[in-house]
Amino acid sequence: MNRFIDRLSLLVAAASTLACSGNESALDPAGPQAARINGMAWYMFAVSALVWMAVVTALLIAARKGSTRDLADQSDSMNARLKRPVVTATSITVLILIGTLVYDVATGHALASLPRDKALRIEITGHQWWWEATYVDPVAGRQVTTANEIHIPVGEPVQIIGSSADVIHSFWIPNLAGKKDLIPGHATATWIQADRPGIYRGQCAEFCGHQHANMAVLVMAESRDEFNSWYETQLLPAAPPSDSVSKAGEAVFMSKGCPLCHTVGGTRALGRIGPPLTHIGSSYTLAAGTLKNTRGNLAGWIVDPQGIKPGAKMAPNDLSGSELQAILSYLGNLK
Amino acid sequence: MKTYDKVLDVTETPTIVFGRRASTWWGTTAFMAIEATTLVVCIATYLYVRKNFHHWPPAPLRVPDVLRPTISVTFLALSNIANYWLSRKVRALDKRGTQIGLLVMSTIAAIAIVLRVFDFRDLNSHWDTNAYASAAWISVAFHSSLLFLEGIETWVFTALFWFGPVEGKHFSDADDNCVYWYFMTLVWVPMYALIYWTPRLM
Amino acid sequence: MSASVPSVTETMVLNDGDLVTRSELEQSWRFPRGFVGWLRNTSHLSIGKRYIITAFVFFGLGGLEAGLIRLQLSRPENSWIGPDLYNQIFTMHGTTMMFLFAVPMMTAVGLYMVPLMIGTRNVSSPRLNLYGYFTYVVGGAFLYFAFFVNNGPDAGWFAYTPLSGPQFSPGKRVDVWAQTITFTEISALISAVILITTIFKQRAPGMSLNRIPLFVWAMLVTSFMIVFSMPWVATASQMLAADRLVDTHFFNAAEGGDALLWQHLFWFFGHPEVYIIFIPALGMVSAIVETFTGRPIFAYPVMVLSLITTGFMGFGLWVHHMFATPIPQLGQSFFTAASTIIAIPTGVQIFCWIATIWAGKPRFTTPLLFVIGFIITFVIGGLTGVMIASVPFDLQAHDTYFIVAHLHYVLIGGGLFPLFGAFYYWFPKMTGRMMSERMGKWNFWLFFTGVNVTFFPMHVLGLEGMTRRIYTYLPETGWGPLNLVSSLGAVVIVVSMVLFVANALISWKRGVPAGDNPWGAASLEWATESPPPPYVFLHVPVCTSEHPLWEEGETRPVVTGLRTDIRENLMTTLMDAEPDHRHDSPEPTIWPFVAALATGVMFITAIFTVWGLVIGLLLLFPPLLLWGWPRKEEQRRRLAGERDPLARAGS
Repeated sequence: MNRFIDRLSLLVAAASTLACSGNESALDPAGPQAARINGMAWYMFAVSALVWMAVVTALLIAARKGSTRDLADQSDSMNARLKRPVVTATSITVLILIGTLVYDVATGHALASLPRDKALRIEITGHQWWWEATYVDPVAGRQVTTANEIHIPVGEPVQIIGSSADVIHSFWIPNLAGKKDLIPGHATATWIQADRPGIYRGQCAEFCGHQHANMAVLVMAESRDEFNSWYETQLLPAAPPSDSVSKAGEAVFMSKGCPLCHTVGGTRALGRIGPPLTHIGSSYTLAAGTLKNTRGNLAGWIVDPQGIKPGAKMAPNDLSGSELQAILSYLGNLK
Repeated sequence: MKTYDKVLDVTETPTIVFGRRASTWWGTTAFMAIEATTLVVCIATYLYVRKNFHHWPPAPLRVPDVLRPTISVTFLALSNIANYWLSRKVRALDKRGTQIGLLVMSTIAAIAIVLRVFDFRDLNSHWDTNAYASAAWISVAFHSSLLFLEGIETWVFTALFWFGPVEGKHFSDADDNCVYWYFMTLVWVPMYALIYWTPRLM
Repeated sequence: MSASVPSVTETMVLNDGDLVTRSELEQSWRFPRGFVGWLRNTSHLSIGKRYIITAFVFFGLGGLEAGLIRLQLSRPENSWIGPDLYNQIFTMHGTTMMFLFAVPMMTAVGLYMVPLMIGTRNVSSPRLNLYGYFTYVVGGAFLYFAFFVNNGPDAGWFAYTPLSGPQFSPGKRVDVWAQTITFTEISALISAVILITTIFKQRAPGMSLNRIPLFVWAMLVTSFMIVFSMPWVATASQMLAADRLVDTHFFNAAEGGDALLWQHLFWFFGHPEVYIIFIPALGMVSAIVETFTGRPIFAYPVMVLSLITTGFMGFGLWVHHMFATPIPQLGQSFFTAASTIIAIPTGVQIFCWIATIWAGKPRFTTPLLFVIGFIITFVIGGLTGVMIASVPFDLQAHDTYFIVAHLHYVLIGGGLFPLFGAFYYWFPKMTGRMMSERMGKWNFWLFFTGVNVTFFPMHVLGLEGMTRRIYTYLPETGWGPLNLVSSLGAVVIVVSMVLFVANALISWKRGVPAGDNPWGAASLEWATESPPPPYVFLHVPVCTSEHPLWEEGETRPVVTGLRTDIRENLMTTLMDAEPDHRHDSPEPTIWPFVAALATGVMFITAIFTVWGLVIGLLLLFPPLLLWGWPRKEEQRRRLAGERDPLARAGS
């Protein structure tokens, strides 16, 4: 059964890539779970379309037939004749539904039996309105904490342990797998796997307040080697500022309220309220996927976060032009 | 043009009926179903939050006291003897008997409400301590609202039968009130067992 | 026939007694006059009609909110509405449509039509009915007042904790939501109790259980569902209010409460809720199909069984709203199975309707068009429902626009299409005028097109990653074009609704007079004038078959012996509807209205202080007492003409 589903999924995946390929799409699977679900989805869609066409056709035929009568036929003989088609239709319905149920259970089983040993473990905590990801490593001192952008090695299962620091969020990468709610007071377990390299985007899928709309997460799937070198970089503390502007930026950073909320590894900035900034310079995006990480966007975000994400928990910062340039330099160097 | 064929004459049908024949009985029963469902919600909540605690009741709370609540649940259950007596008088359309019965039930209701204050105290917790306390309090509080409102209704019937213009249909309404009294008192028994005994047994 | 005088088909002159009867009934059942009279009117005709109109007003408001949503989402990064207002708007849209429109509308049609269809003169508890209506109005008015002062609830119509709890939703917005639930739930429960009691005890003699119209069966099943499901959300909303006001910890994980507890309590109500909206619609479809095919619905017992089965099974599905939460796998499989199998009874009903149309002689009037539209549209929603019953697929579709598409296809397809059909069908009975068929057909086609253009693209949007309840989205997501298409569809829906309202208003004033039974239908509501007089039936009918009006001959069998000098109803037995006793129907009174106001004070002040409950109870006591306390003059009149010796017992 599992092999049948696998083959069916591959066939459908190939067909559907022709139909609609796209980032952030459940119909463009890049991992084994999404692939199987995609296969099932197309099967169910096909069956649904056929059933719908059958019902509508029957309805239109009935309307046509009825309108050719002179009088409504309420006779017992007519009622007797109507029994068989209704019973047949009901039986077919029951069979289709049972078949669907069997396929459901089989798919669930297939998903559950995908190999998952020696998986990489990441603990994801949902915050209003950003994602905290901690890579769990049995060796002490080798934990990595990032925000909003999660690197994983291609072709390997990754176990996600999810929770929330405040309200319910939901972690979802459509290209890879179904979603899992992150609920305060509960630890939920799910897993993902990407079979081809790429950047896979998802958005928080449980209404969590003002900026629920701007809480995106990026999963970067790369080769094992690339992942390993990324990981090693993440383990390093923040790069010390190399030029005078960056040094001045560091001073501004530490003197304004930034360390209260943000961590910069290896410095005295130890805040855990907002995302860590240790390697902010190498992020693709800012503010949970809301902005591309450019100097201009970063400037706008630092000065007026409320203008970009009204309701976000970051206060505006009143900086002079030179202070702002210095901070931008400092942060830009934190790669 | 239609004409009417008067096939059925209901002149001789009565106007006073009791029990399932009366539409008010059905209305009362429907409300009992609603309230019973609400009590089920309270029970479900109580049992659901149980799984979030190692101890029950959770520290620092003591188990609820059980002596006075046992007295009050017994009192409520036994009050149905008077309730039964009253409903016999009501169904016999005995105005004097009904007046006396209602007076007795009014007194019982007053005593039961006072006893209920002690039921709250004997929970040995405050509703805002933790989820256990919240669940216990809402269960007792909801049933207390049934007790209190039924008490008021009994007092109103007593006033009507003693001082008001009573007619036949009021006996039917009073009988529905007796039926409701059975419900209100007996439905407290499983609630009492849950709230006051399970912390000792779990 | 002159347009200003409604035609009368019932003869008044054949029997002098009938003239006397009519004038006495006109006197004893007359509507009290003026605005204060309207506040006191206990007739189900008046109350049902005002319920329907009020629910329609809320439908319009909910529709406006939907329009704002579609405008905001029509293009990416639209800065027209910010997140705070948007969150209020979508919460108001859901809350309005589900609590202030859908359920009250369905029960309203029931409250108006059921007494007519079962052959009685009023519901079992007219004063309670009046109280239920005003409680509903107070609740809706309160919600909208709060919204207009920027205090509208903003945590979604489902108010998940802990977002809706005291820590993450400070202020009073969510408390407003919780108390709106209280008001609307009181009203719905009252309607349900009244419908059950009326259907059980007041059917026309001879209307045994197997002769009850399918719409009445539907309202009976719905009412039982309301009785057993609404208390769950009512209690849950009070628990939430308590968490917020007096620091209980039902949903606070830090003190042993549980965010998931809210979801279980809410959805245990929430799933039956959608069937509460859907099952009356199924009843409406049966009424329409029977009349406009000219033959009884095929397999009546199977249809009844399907309604009952659907009602029962509706209680066993709720966890399918929670598949993404950490609920054990085994449990999930049960709910997948239940959610899939519930398609069977509804499917059976659809097959029976198609069979009826095939064997009948269909007349493609607007009501029947809406029924056809219902089948075509609802089946899509039902099929996507089977898709999302599957856990793996649901984990992709959950909380995306795929679900938005599904829910609107079933609620609009399965609820609104039949409702509009019913409206065109019963408008002549309620107003005495026919609606315009031409405008009706335009209404239908625009609505059908608009609904599909608006909601079909959302299936795709959902699977392409568009999550729910987002006030904007980035252009890079590629969701812009389909959102624009959807928003344009919404414009078409608005046009169709304007047409509908125009049709209703114009027809009310100047439609062709309808007469008693313009459609040649079979059930008892068509056995009296259009609109029905305050006493509903000149003579209470006797029911001799499932289709009384098709099977009566020259004369109509009726009951005699009910008093006409006071308001009196005939009560019958449960199973076979044999005459059992006579029951006086309460006269108009102001106290239910006052009691509703007091209830409003009680629950609104309870938002600010628990003492509000005490104050409210004190305020409630006088009107409740005066509501039921016998009036000496009324009593004297009643007893003076009373034939039953027992009636005087005690006096």
